[in-house]
Amino acid sequence: MERMDAAQAREHIEMIERILAESHPRLCAGGEFFVVWGIASAYLTVLFELVAQGAVPVVAEWSAAIVLLGAVLYTGLRGRALGRTLARTSLVQREFFNVLWITIGLAFIVNVAAFRIFPGIASAGIWSVAEAIVLLYIGMHGNRRAQFAGALVVASIVVANFLAPALSAYVLAAGMLAGYTGFGLSELLARD
Amino acid sequence: MDELLLSKVRLGVVAELLNFDWVAFSELVRALDVSNGNLGAHMIKLVDAGYVEEEKSFVNRRPLTRYRLTKRGRDAFAAHVLQLQALLKEAK
Repeated sequence: MERMDAAQAREHIEMIERILAESHPRLCAGGEFFVVWGIASAYLTVLFELVAQGAVPVVAEWSAAIVLLGAVLYTGLRGRALGRTLARTSLVQREFFNVLWITIGLAFIVNVAAFRIFPGIASAGIWSVAEAIVLLYIGMHGNRRAQFAGALVVASIVVANFLAPALSAYVLAAGMLAGYTGFGLSELLARD
Repeated sequence: MDELLLSKVRLGVVAELLNFDWVAFSELVRALDVSNGNLGAHMIKLVDAGYVEEEKSFVNRRPLTRYRLTKRGRDAFAAHVLQLQALLKEAK
């Protein structure tokens, strides 16, 4: 059996401390998911508002299914590809993706299967709340852009609440685009 | 002491994997500044001991080997560090 003296033990401890200090895992958010879901949720919000106002025929609501299906497919395929190809995936990042899937998944269920409980603008509000949770969660890990984007989405919810009902959906959609999609774009730009 | 972790390279591998879910072989080579052959031999020992899990796949037709720490490896690392600290305390 090998022996170890105090000097070697110190050397090993110092090496561990150095590795751990250098391996602060950055929460790589995966900007493309934010772009896709920000656009999809804003599209659905505006589409349902336009249908409710009679500006667009009801049959246009079918496009919502196509957009949602496209977003889900993209998220699943891209997420799988990313998970397999990244040279390093941190534990924090895995936790982040769990939060992302749960919140967006719940918002998806609300919109697709609970639209009678959350009618009209309520379902758009749920999207915004889900997106704010995801952004602020990332912000908690030190990403200032996410903090700002999350605050933008929250602000859009509050402003939408106090505006004329006809404008609320557009404000929420603007929050989704500026906050969620905007954050995704900034992450993609930062990565490049 | 855990004999497997007495090696500086193997201890370094476990420390590198501590904060990560998966880490590629090439990343470990770069981070630990060792040769492919040297690291490969150490990785076999860690995998055989159940300290590390190995995943082999192909990305863009290129082989990608990644590793992650198992619970057994994490526990062994924690116990080993405690023993190192105890040894240092005794020496003082």
